[in-house]
Amino acid sequence: MNGTIQAPTIEYALLAPMLVVFGAAIVGVLVEAFAPRYLRSAIHVPLTLLSLAGAFALTIWQAAAKGIPTKAAAMGAVAVDGPALFIWGTILVLAFVSVLLIKGEDHFVAAASAVPGSAEEEQALHEGAAHSEIYPLVLFAVGGMLLFPAANDLLVAFVALEVMSLPLYLLCGLARRRRLLSQEAAVKYFLLGAFSSAFFLYGTALLYGYAGSIDLAKISTAVGSVGGQDTLLYIGAAMLGVGLLFKIGAAPFQAWKPDVYQGAPTPITALMASGTLVAAFGALVRVFWVGLGGLDWDWRPVLYGVAILTMVVGAVLAITQTDIKRMLAYSSIAHGGFLLVGVIATGKAAAQNASALSGILFYLVAYGFTTVGAFAVVTMVRDAGGEAWHLSRWAGLGKRSPLLAGIFAFFLLAFAGIPLTSGFFGKYAVFQAAVSGGALPLVIVGVVASAVAAFFYVRVIVLMFFSDPAADGPSIVLPSRGTAAVVGLAVLATVVLGVYPQPVLDLAHSAAQSLFVR
Amino acid sequence: MELYVPILVLAVLAAGFAVFSVGIAPFTGPKRWNRAKLDAYECGIEPTPQPVGGGRFPLKYMITAMLFIVFDIEIIFLYPWAVAFDKLGVFGLVEMVLFIVTVLVAYAYVWRRRGLDWD
Amino acid sequence: MGESITFWVLAVVSVIAALGLVFSRRAVYSALMLGVVMLSLAVLYAVQDAPFLAAVQIIVYTGAVMMLFLFVLMLVGVDSSDSLVETIRGQRFWAIVAGLGFAALLGLGIGNTLIAAPKGLAVANQNGNVPSLAELIFTRHVFAFEVTSALLITAALGAMVLAHRERTEPKPTQRDLSRARFVEFGRHGKNPAPLPGPGTYARHNAIDMPALLPDGTVSPLSVNRVIARHEAEEGTLAPEVAQILQQEEEGK
Repeated sequence: MNGTIQAPTIEYALLAPMLVVFGAAIVGVLVEAFAPRYLRSAIHVPLTLLSLAGAFALTIWQAAAKGIPTKAAAMGAVAVDGPALFIWGTILVLAFVSVLLIKGEDHFVAAASAVPGSAEEEQALHEGAAHSEIYPLVLFAVGGMLLFPAANDLLVAFVALEVMSLPLYLLCGLARRRRLLSQEAAVKYFLLGAFSSAFFLYGTALLYGYAGSIDLAKISTAVGSVGGQDTLLYIGAAMLGVGLLFKIGAAPFQAWKPDVYQGAPTPITALMASGTLVAAFGALVRVFWVGLGGLDWDWRPVLYGVAILTMVVGAVLAITQTDIKRMLAYSSIAHGGFLLVGVIATGKAAAQNASALSGILFYLVAYGFTTVGAFAVVTMVRDAGGEAWHLSRWAGLGKRSPLLAGIFAFFLLAFAGIPLTSGFFGKYAVFQAAVSGGALPLVIVGVVASAVAAFFYVRVIVLMFFSDPAADGPSIVLPSRGTAAVVGLAVLATVVLGVYPQPVLDLAHSAAQSLFVR
Repeated sequence: MELYVPILVLAVLAAGFAVFSVGIAPFTGPKRWNRAKLDAYECGIEPTPQPVGGGRFPLKYMITAMLFIVFDIEIIFLYPWAVAFDKLGVFGLVEMVLFIVTVLVAYAYVWRRRGLDWD
Repeated sequence: MGESITFWVLAVVSVIAALGLVFSRRAVYSALMLGVVMLSLAVLYAVQDAPFLAAVQIIVYTGAVMMLFLFVLMLVGVDSSDSLVETIRGQRFWAIVAGLGFAALLGLGIGNTLIAAPKGLAVANQNGNVPSLAELIFTRHVFAFEVTSALLITAALGAMVLAHRERTEPKPTQRDLSRARFVEFGRHGKNPAPLPGPGTYARHNAIDMPALLPDGTVSPLSVNRVIARHEAEEGTLAPEVAQILQQEEEGK
């Protein structure tokens, strides 16, 4: 009981992007507390956007001017390495774009505590009440997203997982229209998410029992050296895998995705489909490569099966959907499967690892932008009761609004991976890495699944351009500047990454080159 | 085990006090029967027939419950911090103050938005 | 010696409580049984040289999580019964299979610890259990610790967003309420004053004793209707009170 504990060293400069986001979120809560109601949104929007932009600038500055660190920060808790910085940049840009979408139109409920359809709700709507808490909540979620892929031990990963998920559970239940569906989505997401977090935590505990540490690096060294405890290792790794695969919505843990994507307010769906997916993939790759790399003979076949199942389930079930957001959700599941192909495409050689990792990183950027754009278009096609969710309502949209339908068709083609879109190079990079990694059968399944997926994308395009519009068809709202900017940016990203992907590919490659710090 | 001796002593004291108070009451107090005395005590309000099963709570309690949980969880960090306070030094103090201030932000929000008002 | 006595006493208590939890028909009893299980666990932790875990078990689980359970029970109504219709086919069978599987897993895990002696406890508790934990929390895991505050803020925010109804008109002050009472008095003659207490000549101040006016008669305002109803059923209603009630009945 003597002696003092030495104060830990914390690299504040390295963690600055995350600290800025969390700090802005806390300031946002203070704004909620002390600013009068009419001022809140006017303060929140610039605060949120500026903090995200500032964090992005800090990330770039770190990567460009100060070089990529080779040691984990904050006493080994957070690994700010090449892939992490790339993922941070991606998440921050996607979050920025999603916030533009959030502020665009009235997507959110006026008073979440009022019973749906009650007089109280009507009154709140009439008075123009709004939950401006959305902005700090989004910032907290983004902070969690930043921490999750950079977590260097399983405890930080778990805390990050919760910080990321908790605000999202809440935001899912705040859609203005189709309230009951939205609340159902929130409850489902919360229950299943809590369940998967429990799996993650049990896995952490078992791995701690095995390795005597929760550091990914120490678990990695223990995998080769500790004997006689293999049961703990296998069960722990499997449970960890369940928790992570749930977050990316891989089959057979995909069931929450359509329901949640459908019920959540569309801008939040966009944030989840882009930011959460990127963050979860970053964490998945880090845990499996850094922590369980020595176990790859065991997890590779499992992920092999999961990837095939995910691609097939996503592509096939998407065909049967009649709700546009559910269809996009299944498409997101299928894309998760394609990305898993990249996870499997690793090997013992560093070059192979780097090529697979850079493929995943590029794919994440390409898919993230396209999906945000697609959901932004969904917000603009309106019926009397909100978004025109049923696919039949989209019939003949190409004749009423050729520009919007054209843009949406372009996004769908990018999802399908047609050349000259970003999706093509994304798939190409991942599949190429998989072929050189010896996972040819997986690539064949991937290509077939892509073809099946292309079928329903084309079906929607045909529906939009070659059917007659309904007499009382949905109206196209004039987009706000934010929404228009989102759609424009997404189109731009999809085109540029499809025509001239080299700079971003190079960037992804140089980020992946250093691999993960250990 | 000797770590818990003070707790045991305290527990015995508390139990003794409770048993003593309840046990002594029938012998010292006057007993005059009155229906009202046997009624449920409801702060001077006329006791109304209970709804079946005790009725429901309003959802308002949820905010109180949640705030309680938040500060309850804060305690589990305060406990090791307090025990190791001398060894942790200034850094520990700074970190704890930062943590408490951050959590107090949530409290300020609930307070300012009248989450603590009862009606 | 002390440890094994504690263990055998608490083992019996906690197993009985756990069985009570499962088999009790009332949700509230189940919740209280759960509290007993949690408290026994806390003492067992304490006996096993884990004072921090014991404190957390009591503060967080027994104090907070149990309270949330009870809160939810009260929220949905204490005696609202669940529908026992099974919607998933073969649910019971698979639940039993899963339960047995889990029991086997637990048994194997515990069997493992019986074969091999636990190690590392002395090293981990070298500087005392709680101070060692403090060292870990405030050095290696200090970042995770600080980020936890984001979680706590989100929880409070979420509770407010989902449960708090923002007041749209200003809260009525004492003055407003008083004014409203007298307006009501002017319009409908409703008594603006509080109901009278026991009165000048009353011999008791209990709630079932009507107040007496200066002329010795009973003040009708002071009759507690609920108790009067009970007393009427039992036939113990005072005649002067019964008379007042009857007059009122006729007056209507």
